[in-house]
Amino acid sequence: MNPNPTPALSSTATTTAAAAAAAAPAPAPPPPTTTTTTTTTTTNTHPPLRYVRYDGAREDEYVPAMRQLISKDLSEPYSIYVYRYFLYQWGDLCFMAMDDSQQQRMVGVVVSKLEPHRGGPLRGYIAMLAVKEEYRGRGIATKLARMAIDAMIERDADEIVLETEITNTAAIKLYERLGFLRSKRLHRYYLNGNSAYRLVLYLKEGVGSMRTTLDPYGAAEMTGALAAPEPALLHENGSGGGW
Amino acid sequence: MRVVPESVVPRDITDDFTIAASSSHLTPAGLAFKFYMWCTDDLIPSEIELRTGQLVKDEYFTLFEAVGALEIMDSKMDSGYLGPGENHAQALEDDYDLMRELAPEEVLGIMDELLCHEMAWHMGHPLSQTLFTSLYLDRLLWPVPKTLENAHFGRGQSQSNEKVPDMVHVVLRAYCLALVKSCDFVHARVTTEYYFEEEDFVTQLYNRTLLSQFDSKHFHDLLDNAIRWVDEHTDMLSEKVAEAIRARLLFRREFLWGLEQDVEVIETRSTAQFLSCLSHLDFLGKSAVLGKEVPESFSCKIQRKLASTVPPRPMVKISFEDALAHLRRLCQDAVDLLEILDYRGPYNLKVVIWTLLSRKPQPSVYIRSLVQSLIVSNRTILGAVPVKQFLYDELEQIVLPSSILLQASADEIEVPSDPRFQIAQHMDVFTKRFSQPFVDTFRSACLNRCRIRRTVCHTLVDWDNLQMEAEDLDEQLRTLSNEPPLQLANGDTTYSYPLSSWAYHHKLSQFRLILQLGFELSIYAPEELPGMYWYLSHICSTHLGHIDRIRTFTVATAKRNLADLAAKKRDAFERHAVLQQSIRLLERMTTQIVAVDAFAISLHALYVLLARHRVLPTTSSPQAYSSDRLRYEIRMKPFLQITLPELVPYDEYHREAVLEGDSDDIVLERAAKAISEARKAWEATLANGAFMHDSDEKDSPALAIEDDWKRDIKDTMRACIGASIAIETVKKALKAQADSRNGEPPQAPQSVNLRVTIPEVGSKARWHDWWVVPQVSPATTLGASKK
Repeated sequence: MNPNPTPALSSTATTTAAAAAAAAPAPAPPPPTTTTTTTTTTTNTHPPLRYVRYDGAREDEYVPAMRQLISKDLSEPYSIYVYRYFLYQWGDLCFMAMDDSQQQRMVGVVVSKLEPHRGGPLRGYIAMLAVKEEYRGRGIATKLARMAIDAMIERDADEIVLETEITNTAAIKLYERLGFLRSKRLHRYYLNGNSAYRLVLYLKEGVGSMRTTLDPYGAAEMTGALAAPEPALLHENGSGGGW
Repeated sequence: MRVVPESVVPRDITDDFTIAASSSHLTPAGLAFKFYMWCTDDLIPSEIELRTGQLVKDEYFTLFEAVGALEIMDSKMDSGYLGPGENHAQALEDDYDLMRELAPEEVLGIMDELLCHEMAWHMGHPLSQTLFTSLYLDRLLWPVPKTLENAHFGRGQSQSNEKVPDMVHVVLRAYCLALVKSCDFVHARVTTEYYFEEEDFVTQLYNRTLLSQFDSKHFHDLLDNAIRWVDEHTDMLSEKVAEAIRARLLFRREFLWGLEQDVEVIETRSTAQFLSCLSHLDFLGKSAVLGKEVPESFSCKIQRKLASTVPPRPMVKISFEDALAHLRRLCQDAVDLLEILDYRGPYNLKVVIWTLLSRKPQPSVYIRSLVQSLIVSNRTILGAVPVKQFLYDELEQIVLPSSILLQASADEIEVPSDPRFQIAQHMDVFTKRFSQPFVDTFRSACLNRCRIRRTVCHTLVDWDNLQMEAEDLDEQLRTLSNEPPLQLANGDTTYSYPLSSWAYHHKLSQFRLILQLGFELSIYAPEELPGMYWYLSHICSTHLGHIDRIRTFTVATAKRNLADLAAKKRDAFERHAVLQQSIRLLERMTTQIVAVDAFAISLHALYVLLARHRVLPTTSSPQAYSSDRLRYEIRMKPFLQITLPELVPYDEYHREAVLEGDSDDIVLERAAKAISEARKAWEATLANGAFMHDSDEKDSPALAIEDDWKRDIKDTMRACIGASIAIETVKKALKAQADSRNGEPPQAPQSVNLRVTIPEVGSKARWHDWWVVPQVSPATTLGASKK
């Protein structure tokens, strides 16, 4: 099986304008997500968006819209199994931005997971974050990311990680504004040959020292002829990107 | 509910996927069905309460598998999918006629297109998206030919009497076959070494072979034959096109030879082939315009026939200029790597290897694999030095000049009670334990840059453990060798701990490398720069202190030897020379680390000022989830487990990083002083040269690599000058600010009239990847003081 097969953090087409707009100051932090639906008005000129948490009972309605949003510019889309993998297990960490004035209501989505990392820290992972092109620059991605992070914090997450393409400056800026740091660079991580940064956010002290059962450092270095790649998680095919 | 086997997948699945039962379906579908099932009434036993349409997930279904699963009947994922109106034959077969006559210009065009694909493969793209899109290659390679004669374009055709035109059969075929054989050598070399699949290279051959079953002699014969044919058929070809085709055939012959030479270069020491390749490249570039593309002879449809579960993927297109540039670097690196082959001690070897492999762009995966093989094979370094000797040379150079520990041999002393016998036994334990990690400090240079940093982060932990083990050995060896203690100024006595000292020295070098590669790979955020440069200087000063300690013992040994020297004792002269050589090496390392240290101190101070006056860009917002303390913990992650040097507690780090309590004037002076010290130290480093020389050695035996090394030092010196200018600019701006206050005491730290940008790696203003020198300029007056 191909270990690096499909795209990850989806971002639809990039324009410099979109990237620049996305880099604009983030809106003030939202209140903790205690309810599944919040309404915020980001600017006066835009109709208000509705932010909702994913609901498994409405899979038929949500998943196709989500796929369409995320796959838009990916030459190689995620299979349905990837969506189901996340939504089946961590649907409550998935949030969507809806514009009810539109026929296709879903204009933004974040998909995540949260589980112990190798028996160690409880690690959140933001797998996909996408905002419809014409809605970018309004802080929607930041809002969605915050909702996902807040939901993970509620569930006692120790840390949150993700990857972004190194050319996706808008995404990198977004996460760095939220306090993420680049921990390493992943060479030719994506199918298109582009490299990625791993971005990490610690939420508690002592996370770095938590022991994991499967010690990644334990493996003898450079002794075998063939090196298995680290199990790459998700991959963006990288049409470049920004929100 | 467990995995649903493929055979019971219900027939009426239409919503998400469709099983293509027809023979036209070529994609292995099992993966997709293994993990999820779409429940239907007739499949689920009634005692299990599941709704129709409810999803069931196997608990062992991982993200890895989800990502790897394909969706059948989606044209973007399913390489066997037939579009509406597409039939089996159309889907698989191209109607390109491989037997057709080709104009010489077309042959030229195909050759160049193939070279582009070959280089794209070298760069890390799979064969399925590069060379294996060629219909000509496909015909030659599939089915796998039993004989080389069998590999021709007319195979499998019903009309066997159809004659393939000579231009195609003789010239293009020879070129294609020799090209595939070239790839065979590359594939063989890379796969025997340590590389990262899909990151560095894709080894997948899709059940084909790269003609490894045939001796390369045949390919040379074919090329010679083709060259002869071109020479004899000048009537059919215009002179220019003939020359262009001929040059490509000649190039291919040399390239094949060069790749065939491979590790044999240790014996042959020949650069002739790759030099000859290089001599053809300009002409190849110039004559490419004569070629005529034949795009219909390349097709992605071949992917449907390759044994693979990957979705259909586009052909990789690189320009001929890019292909030639890659090829040129490969050939030049192949020529220059001869300079690593003469063994002149571990120190010099490390310099040549790291310098060669730090070239930008980084040498290709083939070169990096070849260097790995040359460094060590069959427990021999460079095909000449046994690993144990190599390790001993290193120990002698750094911590154990003229020591009994390296001279004791269990082969010579057979009495187990003899201390020398026991020393030899202990040293054998040490050698077994340390050889591999030590050799890996050389081989790790061959990884891609990201992996070097990640690997060193991991090996740091190993070296920490090794140091502790070495310390145990040191204590036992000290008794056996009767090491005289050294009296310190305060009256305490201490011992040299040579083996653990040496391990610590390596570990500190690795700390430094992790930090410097962090700058190179743009890992650090701007607001981290003051702290990271402080940390780099902290590691450097720790290292300098450690080298001082080592030197103290070496000097003491040298002093003891002076008495022997005066008494003209046997071996005293030899010992003296070895000790002096070691002291020189310690001096050389000191100079270099002082240079790094001073530059780091200066940048640290400079960044402190920029941060204090709020002109340093920041990435995190006030509403960030994180805190400086948590971010420090992430940054220190590779070092958290390390016992020595001890982790700097956050509060202390913070005080140091912001230079708490020091006024701007003090910090400015610190920056200015340090940068002038750095400039001197880098000049001294440059003057010392790249290599340790024997006293009688004058000329550098590694000229090309030494040039790279010098360039690197000079770039660092340029960065120093850039930093001096930045410091001056800050000084002026702060003075102007103070003057404008007119002697009033400053209120809160104020923003200063400066604009700061951090030049990115690869940009012109970034003089050196390891030195992030900010560009500081007076901000334009309009609204400049507001930030």
